[in-house]
Amino acid sequence: MIRRFHVVAIPIRIVVNNFGDHNPDGRMYVLKENEEKVRKLVRENPFTPVELVQPLTIRANEGDVVEILFENQLPFATGMHFQESDYDPRTSDGSNAGFNPSSLAECGETVLYTIHATTEGIHFFTDMGNVSSTEEGSSIQGLFGALIVERRGSWWTDPVTGGPIESGAFADIHNPFLPSFREYAWFFNDEMEVNDLTGNRPLNPITNQEAESFHGVNYRYEPLGNRKRLIEEGVVSPELDGEEVHHDSWVFGDPATPILRGYRGDPAVIRLIHGASKETHVFHYHVHQWLRDPSNERSEVIDAQSISPQSHYDVWPLYGLGSLQGAIGDVIIHCHLYPHFAAGMWGINRIFDTLQDGSQCYPNGIPIAPLQPLPDRPCPPKPTVERPGFPNFIPGKVGCKAPRPPLGIVGGREMTELERNAAVPNARPGAVFVDSCIGNPVVVEFNVSLIELPIIYNRQGWNDPKGRIYVLDEEIDNVLSGKIEPEPLTLHIPASSCIRMNFTNRLPHVLDGDAFQLVTRTYENGFHVHFVKFDVLVADAANVGWNYDSSVLPGETIRYEWYADTELKAFFYHDHLFAVSHQQHGVFGSAVIQPRFSRFFDSRTGEEVFHGTQVTVQHLLIPDYRDFSLFIHDFALLFDKDGCPIQPPPFPGSEEDPGVFGVNYKNEPLQFRLGEDCDPAYSFSSYVSGDPVTPMLMAYEGDPIRIRLIQGAHEESHSFNLHGLRWQLERPDNDSILTSQHHIGIAESFTLEMVIPRAGDYLWAFEDEEDVWLGTWGLIRAFDQEVEDLIPLSDRPLPPPRTLPLPEVTGKPPELADPQCSLPPLAPLNAPIRRYRVVAVQTPIVYNKYGDHDPFGIVFALEEDVEDILCGRKNPEPLVLRGNQGDLVEVTLTSMLEFEKFPFQDGIHPYPPVKEQAFYPPSLRISLHPSLLDYDVTTSSGNTVGFNPDQTVGPGESITYRWYVFANVGTCAMWDVADLRNHRSFGAFGAFIAEPRFTSNYLDPETLQPIRTGTSAIIEHPLFGRFREFVLIMHDGVRLVDKNGKVIIDPLAGVIPQAEPDEEVDTYDFGSRGFNYRSERLINRYREHPVLADLFSSKVFGDPATPVFEAYPGDPVFIRLAMPSERRRSHTFHLHGHNWKFDPRDIDSRVISFIGHMVPGDAQDLPLIGGAGGTFNFPGDYLYRSGNIRWDIEQGMWGIFRVHDCIQHHLPRLEDS
Amino acid sequence: MKSIRDSRKRREHNKEREDIEIEDLLVRRFQRLQGENILIITETAQLNLLGQTFRPIFCGPIVDVAAGHITLYPATIKILNAPFFQFPTPLSIPLEKIAQFTTNFDCNMRFPLV
Amino acid sequence: MATTNSNSQSVDINRLHDTALVNHFTENIGRRAFVLTPSYPFMFIGEIIDVMEDMVELCVETTHFSQLENRNWFLHIHNIEVFYIETPDGPCIPELRDDL
Repeated sequence: MIRRFHVVAIPIRIVVNNFGDHNPDGRMYVLKENEEKVRKLVRENPFTPVELVQPLTIRANEGDVVEILFENQLPFATGMHFQESDYDPRTSDGSNAGFNPSSLAECGETVLYTIHATTEGIHFFTDMGNVSSTEEGSSIQGLFGALIVERRGSWWTDPVTGGPIESGAFADIHNPFLPSFREYAWFFNDEMEVNDLTGNRPLNPITNQEAESFHGVNYRYEPLGNRKRLIEEGVVSPELDGEEVHHDSWVFGDPATPILRGYRGDPAVIRLIHGASKETHVFHYHVHQWLRDPSNERSEVIDAQSISPQSHYDVWPLYGLGSLQGAIGDVIIHCHLYPHFAAGMWGINRIFDTLQDGSQCYPNGIPIAPLQPLPDRPCPPKPTVERPGFPNFIPGKVGCKAPRPPLGIVGGREMTELERNAAVPNARPGAVFVDSCIGNPVVVEFNVSLIELPIIYNRQGWNDPKGRIYVLDEEIDNVLSGKIEPEPLTLHIPASSCIRMNFTNRLPHVLDGDAFQLVTRTYENGFHVHFVKFDVLVADAANVGWNYDSSVLPGETIRYEWYADTELKAFFYHDHLFAVSHQQHGVFGSAVIQPRFSRFFDSRTGEEVFHGTQVTVQHLLIPDYRDFSLFIHDFALLFDKDGCPIQPPPFPGSEEDPGVFGVNYKNEPLQFRLGEDCDPAYSFSSYVSGDPVTPMLMAYEGDPIRIRLIQGAHEESHSFNLHGLRWQLERPDNDSILTSQHHIGIAESFTLEMVIPRAGDYLWAFEDEEDVWLGTWGLIRAFDQEVEDLIPLSDRPLPPPRTLPLPEVTGKPPELADPQCSLPPLAPLNAPIRRYRVVAVQTPIVYNKYGDHDPFGIVFALEEDVEDILCGRKNPEPLVLRGNQGDLVEVTLTSMLEFEKFPFQDGIHPYPPVKEQAFYPPSLRISLHPSLLDYDVTTSSGNTVGFNPDQTVGPGESITYRWYVFANVGTCAMWDVADLRNHRSFGAFGAFIAEPRFTSNYLDPETLQPIRTGTSAIIEHPLFGRFREFVLIMHDGVRLVDKNGKVIIDPLAGVIPQAEPDEEVDTYDFGSRGFNYRSERLINRYREHPVLADLFSSKVFGDPATPVFEAYPGDPVFIRLAMPSERRRSHTFHLHGHNWKFDPRDIDSRVISFIGHMVPGDAQDLPLIGGAGGTFNFPGDYLYRSGNIRWDIEQGMWGIFRVHDCIQHHLPRLEDS
Repeated sequence: MKSIRDSRKRREHNKEREDIEIEDLLVRRFQRLQGENILIITETAQLNLLGQTFRPIFCGPIVDVAAGHITLYPATIKILNAPFFQFPTPLSIPLEKIAQFTTNFDCNMRFPLV
Repeated sequence: MATTNSNSQSVDINRLHDTALVNHFTENIGRRAFVLTPSYPFMFIGEIIDVMEDMVELCVETTHFSQLENRNWFLHIHNIEVFYIETPDGPCIPELRDDL
């Protein structure tokens, strides 16, 4: 079927809330038939939101051809670039890329796009004609939308009227063979220009400084600051002051942000989209859980999803609205990054239990709009006087805070008559309107309190004087007296349990002020949980919408009830009432829902326990394992031992990235781990500096382990890496890909399951440069012989008795490792050996033809290429090594580093900066660490950690690592670990590609001759034939100088037309960036030819400096994507016109055209569906790029994949000999 | 009713058993392998034991052979993260569920499972 | 696949195996069994009550979810991937309790 739309891009004032905050320079896509109407409505309502002003959401069915007549009324060329769709890039890419004809429309012109809606899901679109990251840009000002492709045969209706609907974020979708469902498009966007009613940037009334930038949903936001102002001005009562009260509809009425309405049990989907521009948000939807990959029913179950710019996910809540327990009420949905949450990035899913036909009102008299029941579901009961339905049975008073729930608070109240009518027959504290614990499960009960105490983070005395943590009531005294070291409270509970939590608030009323924070009255707190099933009205431990305020005052106790219906992994919990104020002080923990019939023991003493970040789990039917919990947190507001604040913000109360980091309230900064010879290569060595204070995870060789990875607070992305071990990305799915790295955002929780094959020390680290510099690393120690304080697993052979003494601190570096003395654990005796000789050298790297270069580059190169590189014949590219499954790869590494060639010989880099810089002189030692491969961690991991021997080499030394390619794992990131501070950002990284077994040749794509390295290759295999392989190494944090030798301070130096003078940049945004040591910074092109629409054109500028990969239509292509280095800012990778499987090993996995949240250590394989040119093999130039408008694309993170339409002289076809 | 049904079934079963014992080459082979370690994989893609998923790859000595199944004990299950886990009871495998097997296998051998 | 017996009649070997398996369950009526199947809910422990054609009736004490326990289930014998039936002198199926 052909579906046609006429879409216009218009300038429009976007009013984002009822306080009159607005974007005067908004840009929006709208259907032509609505253009006049929306302009008229906006003219007539200059200070209130207009419903038609929303990101354009149109729909089609799978298999449709969608023709879009695009008309541009903006004063610069724009277009519509579609993700996920198939199209001819020469006519419908919505860009002006490479040698393609432009498919942009100039002002006043139109262009016709033909889009094939091949796959179901979200086909996000935005403009590629104007990628400026300033207010002059398009995407950043709201120019984005989505084409949602439904299953074949579907149609859609307006949820209010039941009539047909042409566009709109909310729709009911119907199909003759499938259940009807509610569909809600949810567009995050950030950084959009917003002014208040006076036309100025909004101010934060608490700090009187400029407020956080816009963070909203569907062009709306409801910041705390505006509602706080009403309290301060006396419009609402001053007793209502608080943090979460700004979500309270009893006080303020409903928010301007989206309210997703439905009935209990309705099937639903939230089409989660990140429209623009900079931040990686964490989408969290209370009460509900969903499969991370909805096409794969063996995918992980999650309830929080990190989402980076221009990526998207389909959130199908399991069991429908209200989840398994059938909850009703207001369910908050929000970005979990606290400053964004407070800045207004939240909305509500309102689940009704009674029919809404337009005759009812909310408690404040606002009519409840009708909501059509889904036609194939039972009609909800009509409201009656006795049973009016949510929210009208709640005994609140408009203008006052929400009431506290009945029954739950010790010493609290009974139910009113209306509440009793609405309650379940066996209503009890914590479960009043929903029977959370289905059936008759076993009950487990806990008594937990929140307390405040000082916490010491490291041996140097960094401390948080206002640490706030959850503790078991029976341990309060021991924790306060110091007998028990504070750690995030981690409970262990078997699945199928009904959990009763008696929570007492023992915090002081007031959180004191200091250099970091203003004095805050944190007078109510709760115990808000993720994952498990509960009655949201009374047990959410929050204060949202028309729900109760289910928290307690100091000294009070409340009972919550939750049901752990299945093995749900570790669920996160925290306070929701003053999260922004004190979560970063430690107010978080987790409960691990373990397999049914498990028992838990203290790993040191063997005593039976039910809590602890390190326990041993015993089971009669499945293997016993060690269970380790690691909580990363940022915004750790610490003071040094002299009471000076560490990394305070510009003013107290500012959310500008204050503080440092911790893991389980500990850190081990590298600056304190220089030994006598001050060589960073030994920073991780316990021989030199002893074991770190961060969690030391203990096991015996051969033990299965599960690591529960959680982020406790507060705002940033982190990248967890484990050296020498790997796990399934989707734990329940044996076909899942393996990984050694995971991105994590706040509130996410992952379980990493693996076995430790061999004794030794394994490094775990949140390994972006700033994190690891400030101490977010530690060790897993696996013993080969018995030790006193570690019980063996009951179902494994006993460890042999100890004959060798345990190693001790010597203050001196360890002996050099001898990899030849052992084989990797999985390697057989007769594995074929593939050898490489690699040298680390310092050499300038030229990043583009405008002369931007790094004079202090550090590269790995094959020995045979060193001379060409050093004499300038060859501009280096990152080293790519290859090996086949089954190969034993021996890499001999030598260092040619020279101290004089380092720019900052004290290790203090003025740019790009990290927090708390300190003396840390560059090491001349080097190492090479690959992710994912199999090796003996004591000899070949490429790092010197714990009590392992030295695996680094200095000048004149060499080491031969032994890596076994145990499986066709594809892309492995590779980087130096000898000096993470001074080496990596200068280029000390590369990639290893594990190819299929029996691959016969790696060939040069132009000469068809065998190659030993190279980012572009033809891989030849006797069974699969030949395929093209393109290696893309994405990296950032680069220090470039221009052709005159002047340092380029990116990102601001690259902003087009220019950056705002007072633009704030976080440390992790500094640095240049690109692919494969190349960066085509658009500012260079703009200076030559200042036309935004032409900046990607090779007709105007020639091809970019970044790799131009070439193929013929239909060529099988693998893109090997890695990000070894080095900042914490997470990037999206997107390739125009192509897609691949989310999990390339799993045929059931969803189809996507982006890789989200790439951070250091990430490695991905992208087998292009249909080969070069996509499903339809269209020739043309396809952009590959970052999805971050701020600040990647302008700064050069893009390139071209060229699919030729006719044979090129220099490029043989795959079938040529 | 139940006991009559049972007796009839037993009679039919005994007759067939006589025939089978003579003619089922596969069963005869397993009988000869009794006591020897085999590595045996069954048909399904994966199994799920209280949330612990694993590919059905088993290793162990054959302790019993019947007309419709064989039994291993102790049975090592090659779980990805616990490749040498021995199940607490014997495990019986229906002959019709066998996908492939190999004999004279060292159950302590390390080999890739993905 | 067919094979001939001593009386020169063609016999389907798959059917023979299937029938033998059914008979094995029949012979063990009254005993406790542990069963794994690839289909939800994946695991069963309980007493063999009866065998009806190629379905075994199990009085299930334990499965993955407590709501599905303490009731009789009918399992398709030919969907069983691995199993163990207790014998008087063999190992016992471990006792699994929620309330430890």
